Amino acid sequence: MSRSKYFCVMALALVAALVCSIPVYAQEKIIKIGALYPMTGRAGLYGLDSVDAAEMAIEEINSKGGVNGYKLELTNTDSKAKPDYSVMVAKRYITQDKTHFLFGVVSSAVGLALTEVSKQYKKIFIGTDHASTQLTTDKFQPYYFRVSNNTFQSMAAGALYLKELQQTKPWETIAYIGPDYAYGHDQWQELKYNLDRFGVKYKSVGEYWPKLFAPDYTAFITSIINDKPDILVAGFWGGDTVAFIKQAQPYGLFKKTLYFHPDAGGNYELMSAMGSELPEGLVLSARHHNNWPETALNKEYVEKFFKRTGRYPTYAAEGAYAGIYAIAEAVKKVGNPDDTEALVKALEGLKIQLPEDPEGFTSYIDPETHQIVQVQAIGLTKPNDKFPPAKMMLGDWKIYKAEDLLPPKDYAERLKKK
Amino acid sequence: MDISFIAMQFLSGLMMATLLFLVASGLTLIFGVGNVFNFAHGSFYMLGAYLAYQAVSVWHANFWLSVLVASVGAGIFGMLAEFLFLRRIYGRAEEGGFQILLTYSFILVIDDLVKLVWGTEYKSLPRPTGLTGTAEIFGLSIPSYNLAIIGIGLVIVVIAWLVLSRTRSGRIARAAALDREMLGSLGINVPLTMTVVFGIATAMGGFAGALAAPLRSVSPGAGIEVIIDSLIVVVIGGMGNFWGAWLGALILGEVNSFAVATFPEWASLFSYLVMVLTLIFKPEGIFASRKIRRI
Repeated sequence: MSRSKYFCVMALALVAALVCSIPVYAQEKIIKIGALYPMTGRAGLYGLDSVDAAEMAIEEINSKGGVNGYKLELTNTDSKAKPDYSVMVAKRYITQDKTHFLFGVVSSAVGLALTEVSKQYKKIFIGTDHASTQLTTDKFQPYYFRVSNNTFQSMAAGALYLKELQQTKPWETIAYIGPDYAYGHDQWQELKYNLDRFGVKYKSVGEYWPKLFAPDYTAFITSIINDKPDILVAGFWGGDTVAFIKQAQPYGLFKKTLYFHPDAGGNYELMSAMGSELPEGLVLSARHHNNWPETALNKEYVEKFFKRTGRYPTYAAEGAYAGIYAIAEAVKKVGNPDDTEALVKALEGLKIQLPEDPEGFTSYIDPETHQIVQVQAIGLTKPNDKFPPAKMMLGDWKIYKAEDLLPPKDYAERLKKK
Repeated sequence: MDISFIAMQFLSGLMMATLLFLVASGLTLIFGVGNVFNFAHGSFYMLGAYLAYQAVSVWHANFWLSVLVASVGAGIFGMLAEFLFLRRIYGRAEEGGFQILLTYSFILVIDDLVKLVWGTEYKSLPRPTGLTGTAEIFGLSIPSYNLAIIGIGLVIVVIAWLVLSRTRSGRIARAAALDREMLGSLGINVPLTMTVVFGIATAMGGFAGALAAPLRSVSPGAGIEVIIDSLIVVVIGGMGNFWGAWLGALILGEVNSFAVATFPEWASLFSYLVMVLTLIFKPEGIFASRKIRRI
């Protein structure tokens, strides 16, 4: 192609792009949501599920006419799970794209970086998946809101479960294994804090810190077996859970020790990956379950997601779904997406009925910490093939009331002092 | 620490070492012969795991057949990558930098390819029939599949040694490591040798991936996780030193296994410590007796 021809084509393409984009902005008022989900690597599935669920929620709302004449619009950029890169994209979202909300994030490291951007630019950041308790305690800032449970809530529920268990099936010793970074360490600290708070007596016989994404756990497994704990608490997420369980099972670890994994262990990806290989009787939980609660809303949400994508959702999906509804509700109250201070007020204490809410309960955002308050259900793995390719799902649920799982008032102070 | 626990941790270390060696052997082979540092070697491992998954779960093939499919598939992919891309940068002044960039781009391409074909969900492969249970040796219960892997690792070491030292092809490969130009002037088709060696190395990666698949989660990005440890193995053993890779893997596996049992909080530090000490005191690798000898 000659040079002049090349420029002609480029110019035409540019004109075409301009013509196509003008009417959109001229006719419609838009709530712009700038998301940063990872699309690659180990957390890619969480990102993909989140974007699919967020778009599902957006279609539901837009097809009913949107909010106060506004349509919702989501843009996602692959965060690559990298904080510095995500900060750059978030700044571009705010300064160039004039985004109204920052949204998403799977990794707590990225979440902690973005909450600084949100504070600096006074733009609301809706956290949908990352679980570090710090964001709503000692690193709290007024423009951050989280619409899924944090690790403190999971561990408080876990401690209550272990307390009840001690009454029916006395146990004494406990060991922990979790990835060697903030998420892994926080869970163990929070579990011990909650066990102490609820007056549970226990003896810790081992702590293990494999690297995140470590492929081989054999040495850890044989060492844990040697410690003979009654309870093994695990703080893995994603493929690490799969690898650990697969490697531990033939050593008979689960016959000797109760496997207890209350934050991310009950995520559907584990059931879908392991099928009938998943042992029965593991105690797991997650931030959303495809088969609990059996409300019409949850069933409808899970089926709709399945029809849309051909797979059942992981818990990350429901966080993103909740985030979109929280934005819609807040804009509905305020009337526009531009008055940030009014939106903050509207989100504080906001009540939203979500798929994970059991009958008679509505999730709400705590006005003081901006953390959503939700019920947590912990279950046992049991045969159930209603959500293929999973052959096991959770059952025998124990339900923990939302209010019992919140950190005490002085918890943020405690963390700051450390 | 009683004796049965020590034996148990030793076997755990041996298990880790064997899988490390299987991955690292391909890495060290291609470095030794071709002087290519294949940063994407882990991705061929991942590709092998996915191909095995495809063969077992979709085509319902026998597990051992799927290991073959994975090795051959990864090998063909490797030969294509060498023939179409790597070959073009041999001998350039900036080859080292280009190698890293080019093979790093293979990681991204293979990761995305895997995602397009198999999606992002974690995949899992059951253990092969007959090896799902546990074996009792000296009163220790060891998963039989783990024992099988340790055995396979030993067989591979011996086969590789026989091929490299006793056959004509092995001698050509070793000669290519020393002087490619000289080999060419003796009438050996050097470019073809390079492609074949690269194919064998990546096939070994695929083989390791397939064998590891029943023990690990198969997911995009799985290649990155193994490449770092393999690199440590290769550094400890000496870049391009085949026996060194086996002993390096053994050291790393055992150091890690006993560190986990004794200082769990500092366990991951020890593998790096071994590498750092090697680099300071014997940068050519612990087992490189003479600087020139490779493979």
